[in-house]
Amino acid sequence: MKACQRGSIRRVYLKELIAAVTIASFVFGTISCSVVATPGDFYGNTTPPKRNILRYVNGDEPGSLDPPVSTGQPEARIYMALYQGLIEYDPRTFNAIPGLAERWDINNDSSEFVFHLRRNAVWSSGDPITAQDFVYSVRRGVSPALASQNAYLAFYINYAEAYFRKAVFAKDSKTNQFVLEKDVAESALSASPGATTSLASEYDSGVVGPESIQGPDVKASPGAETTFHQFMHSPPRLTLPGNEEARNKLLAKNPKLQAALEGKDFVPVSAEDIGVEAIDDYTVRISLSQPAPYFLGLLGHQLFRLAPRKIIEKYGDQWTQPEHIVTCGPFKVKEWLHYSELVVERDPLYWDAANVHLDEIHFFVSQDNPTSLNLYKVGEADAVLNHAVPNAWLQVVRPKKDYMDGAEAAIAFLNINVTKPPMNDIRVRRAFNMAIDKISYAKSRLVTKPLSAFTPEGIFVGYPQPKGDPFDPEQARKLLGEAGFPVTKQGDGFQCKAFPVGEVEYIFNTNSSNKSMAEYMQAQWKQNLGITVPLRSMESKTFLPARNKLEFKGFAVGLWAADYMDPFTFLGLFMTPDGSNGSGWFDPKYVAMLNEANLTLNPQRRYELLAKAEKYLLDNQPVIPIETFAVNWLKKPYVKGMYPNAASLYPWKFVYIERDSSKWDYGVPSLSD
Amino acid sequence: MLRFIVRRLIITIPTILVVITITWGLIRLAPGNFYISEKAIPAAIEKNIREKYGLDKPWYEQYGHTIWNIVRHFDFGTSLKYEGQSVNAIIARSLPVSATVGILAYLLALVVGITAGSIAALKPNSKRDYASMALAMLGISIPNFVLGPILILVFSLTLYWFPPSRWNGFPSRNVVLPVLTLSGLYMAYIARLTRAGMLEVLRSDYIRTARAKGLSETQVVIRHALRGGLMPVVSYTGPALAFLVTGTVVVERLFVLPGLGSYFIQASLNRDEPLILGIVAFVAITLLLMNLLVDIAYAYLDPRIRY
Amino acid sequence: MNNDRPTIPGDHDQPEPGLTPDPALSYREGDIIHTAPEFALADADVLAAERSDVIASTSLWRDAWRRLLKNRLAVFGMIAVVFITVACLLGPLVIKQLTGMTPDLIPSGVGHIRSTPPLRAPDGSFSWLHPMGTDNQGRDLLARVLQGGQISLMVGIIATLVSLLIGVSYGATAGYLGGRIDNLMMRAVDVLYSLPYIIIVIVLLSVFKSQTARGQVILLFIALGSVSWLTMARIVRGQVLSLKNQEFVLAARATGVSTPRIIFRHIVPNTLGPVIVYATLTIPTVMLTEAFLSFLGFGVQAPLASWGSLATDGIQNIGIFPWQLVFPGVTMALTLFSLNFLGDGLRDALDPQGSRQ
Repeated sequence: MKACQRGSIRRVYLKELIAAVTIASFVFGTISCSVVATPGDFYGNTTPPKRNILRYVNGDEPGSLDPPVSTGQPEARIYMALYQGLIEYDPRTFNAIPGLAERWDINNDSSEFVFHLRRNAVWSSGDPITAQDFVYSVRRGVSPALASQNAYLAFYINYAEAYFRKAVFAKDSKTNQFVLEKDVAESALSASPGATTSLASEYDSGVVGPESIQGPDVKASPGAETTFHQFMHSPPRLTLPGNEEARNKLLAKNPKLQAALEGKDFVPVSAEDIGVEAIDDYTVRISLSQPAPYFLGLLGHQLFRLAPRKIIEKYGDQWTQPEHIVTCGPFKVKEWLHYSELVVERDPLYWDAANVHLDEIHFFVSQDNPTSLNLYKVGEADAVLNHAVPNAWLQVVRPKKDYMDGAEAAIAFLNINVTKPPMNDIRVRRAFNMAIDKISYAKSRLVTKPLSAFTPEGIFVGYPQPKGDPFDPEQARKLLGEAGFPVTKQGDGFQCKAFPVGEVEYIFNTNSSNKSMAEYMQAQWKQNLGITVPLRSMESKTFLPARNKLEFKGFAVGLWAADYMDPFTFLGLFMTPDGSNGSGWFDPKYVAMLNEANLTLNPQRRYELLAKAEKYLLDNQPVIPIETFAVNWLKKPYVKGMYPNAASLYPWKFVYIERDSSKWDYGVPSLSD
Repeated sequence: MLRFIVRRLIITIPTILVVITITWGLIRLAPGNFYISEKAIPAAIEKNIREKYGLDKPWYEQYGHTIWNIVRHFDFGTSLKYEGQSVNAIIARSLPVSATVGILAYLLALVVGITAGSIAALKPNSKRDYASMALAMLGISIPNFVLGPILILVFSLTLYWFPPSRWNGFPSRNVVLPVLTLSGLYMAYIARLTRAGMLEVLRSDYIRTARAKGLSETQVVIRHALRGGLMPVVSYTGPALAFLVTGTVVVERLFVLPGLGSYFIQASLNRDEPLILGIVAFVAITLLLMNLLVDIAYAYLDPRIRY
Repeated sequence: MNNDRPTIPGDHDQPEPGLTPDPALSYREGDIIHTAPEFALADADVLAAERSDVIASTSLWRDAWRRLLKNRLAVFGMIAVVFITVACLLGPLVIKQLTGMTPDLIPSGVGHIRSTPPLRAPDGSFSWLHPMGTDNQGRDLLARVLQGGQISLMVGIIATLVSLLIGVSYGATAGYLGGRIDNLMMRAVDVLYSLPYIIIVIVLLSVFKSQTARGQVILLFIALGSVSWLTMARIVRGQVLSLKNQEFVLAARATGVSTPRIIFRHIVPNTLGPVIVYATLTIPTVMLTEAFLSFLGFGVQAPLASWGSLATDGIQNIGIFPWQLVFPGVTMALTLFSLNFLGDGLRDALDPQGSRQ
């Protein structure tokens, strides 16, 4: 009886159920049939925050507040607020403007810099900032104990690299004279810079700044003469690997060198030997091992921003905890809610506090772009980080007046593992390169520019950038055929039966833009070569070691952003002998070309030599260049003082909230205001 | 009863240890480790790091060391990724977030679910019974990561009523959408369970007696029926909590809440072993304890149950 | 709709004939069994199964079938499931014939690819080409949803089969062998419940690296199957506990049939009723779990797609292109909805008396 009842009641209401489901589907359908309306000039809510604060979506949770340590962009932006260097960046042009240094003198070949510090700069604890603080910071930044991954930026400083690599000098215990490079120059090392490279290659991998150039004889540096300065201007000392095994290997190869070092003691290069000197409490002198015109611009990098010695010595590892930390920038740490936000507030003791407009900055943590943009739209955030606008949203967001466009010094490319077949055949590599239509890819991305070379296009003024192979599917197929993998027509497309698809893959770390790129490349190769390269996405933790250790077959996505405004920051990626650049390609000839360029004093000639090296790189095709990036981010119209720049770093002291809507930014703020 | 409780508590300890051990073993099996970063690390630096964290010792030594610290001092160590922060501290600050959302969601689910289920049970096979049960079934079938974004779309991005993500403490607008999203599934389950339980209870003799005595329907329900009818709901609380863990992970990810779930996922992706072990152990203990509480409540509600 | 009713433990607490359980070891001494949440609605049945109430004899399949048909909701669920399955299997082919759209087709040479709303062309005019719109790469969403359905359903079914295999074997063995072994095995199940399975899955999915998308799917079968067998084991164990003292088992034992044969040839087939019911209820659970894994990034990889991964992709664009989430989400919800109804109906059909009146 019960079953009967159940059944009959259900029969009656079945129609209602079907009707309900149909209506529900219809409603859902209607919701989706219209693109969610975003009327108006701006993307979302434009009510300024009640308080005088800026809420900025910064990206990942910052790992550390210790300036030389982290390598990520989110941390870099935070350091811009918390710490100051000798120079600061002009928010519009990114040129160097006075920071802790009021003024500076440079000698005529840019190998020596003297900075005069201002007297009224203090730490957030109240202690005055002195030249010794800077010297301490730099020594700490390049110390092997800290093992900072940014240390290489300081390698232009005399003996900085030797110190970092724990190298040793050779000293004659009887005469207390150090063996000089020129003493052994004739014996084992040839005078060409290439030789130093072979010396350096005994060290751990890394960028090499040649030390074998005679210090220039110019004395244009003002400032008191000191013994240290004389040391800097004396002929450079010979440095040898600190690791005994490596050293003995080197000596074994060079019997003449070994003879010259007979009976000498090995003295470790110490922090006091590197080329930074505090002439007095407010004057700093930096001596470089070679001329580096772009070095001034480097001094705004986080590696050179000052870290507080007293606090570090007192608290060690824990010095960055909010209860201990002491900073020297326009802002100081107020509160750190992990995984949520870092709040900094204006430091009233900062030397220029009167010109710092914001009371607080909230650096929001966000792991993905749609979240960031949603926060921005609702008005919970006032600006978002670079590349926060997902590509697919551009059609809606780009026309808005709060969208910031601009060129960026960053490129995307595919590393090719050249150590494993079939990719060890250059014809195969070139074929895959030429089978990608980068122009239409860039068109589909809307904001990037196609790239055939290895330096970003249009960023370096006057740089004669070479061109790589263009999109030529015919040629690509021909090359593949020559390499032993003929491509034949099949229906509408192609097939390449002989190609060992199992031996290639395309790996990338999981995020939506990498995924789109991967799918696009895969489709291009399928379309033009008839080869379906399998894709494999991995989380960063697994992807990075796999790429760096070359544990992949075929292609691995790569991105690089400039550390400083010079093509060398890109080309230098392939100078590592162990091939840990993700492709396994290493050619001493290439390294020699780069070194030659870096020793050239004439900037234009230097550019030409760099371009020559770049062409050589492109001809060897260890990578497939894809695109040059453009910055793309949003800021509310009431946020002033932030300008799009190629590095996406903002000197926060210049930012302010404009409450008068007639003064708001409609579009990219003009650089001429 | 007391003996039962004690026995259960005693069994908890080895269970937790087994859980920790298995997790530890699984972590060690996974490739990649916590110190990988963008640039390749020179071998010397890698060696230093391994020494610093004791990774160069044999595995059984590391295991013993880990377990000893946990058992002796309740010390899970410091996070490998978040410099200088102890696991206990991380759990202590992320727990309130997850707990707030979880508890509020469950309370909401209880209130709405029990009410809906009771109303349905009072007039079985009627239109409203039918409608609410169909809605409940819908609630079970719509995954929470579909429901959540739809709520965000309507109430946040279009109406600007609530923030689409982030956490601002408890009495704030940020709480509303995550709680709604999380409670959807449980509301549905609880409604169905209440209805089923109430249906049975309402048919029983003592309810008929109560009605015959002339008590109003409300009194009948609240004073007599609920107690028995809620038993399936009570017994569901245990497994629901287990589900709450995974549900919380989704909600915390959708709304970017700095809770245990987020930390757990990050720790797994980072191979941050101490943090993973800490959270796993904590969650396991919580689940076991809550199950015990549920069993006790069960006994309280139904006097026929004896331990 | 269904007659879930909690059993009061202890009601049927009688020692099995021929066996005196050791109170200290007995798994049933007052412990409430905690079941997987997805079976919470059937908690009573699980409880009953563990308490060795044999669910009505399943030898009357035809009767059960007739009862099922009478249950209109279940029939609706069944039809819907069949319809969706067929649509997913054949749909992509049909669509390719009709409109030329395949799940992977990225229109090329078109300048900037846009995600178009349902029934619209890129320039905004009406068009039948994309009834569900397109995704960010310009691929037809309807084709993708149907193909995603193939994967989702396949994962659901096969992972359920895997869990069936493991669960039935484990539970039957534990139940039949009884005593200490049984206790130990069930305690192991308890411990496994407390393991946060996401860790297992992350490790599993990274240790056994898969080269292809297909390989990844196979990994998912195994991973998902191996975390959902627990309740199945419990249920089967309960069934076996009561079945093992029936005459046909004693007879088989007397004639010297080996133990594995007894378990698998004689006992297990008699547990099929509840096994089928819970398998039907496991499928939606597994599909949800796969969707959850896709949400975290561990599910199927491109170029394959499942409803979960489609919905996850769609979540990214909820603010601007909501159809990318809504359609896969609604389709998935409808399928789960139907499967749940079907499962409910099966349970009612196979157990008509509501044995615990």
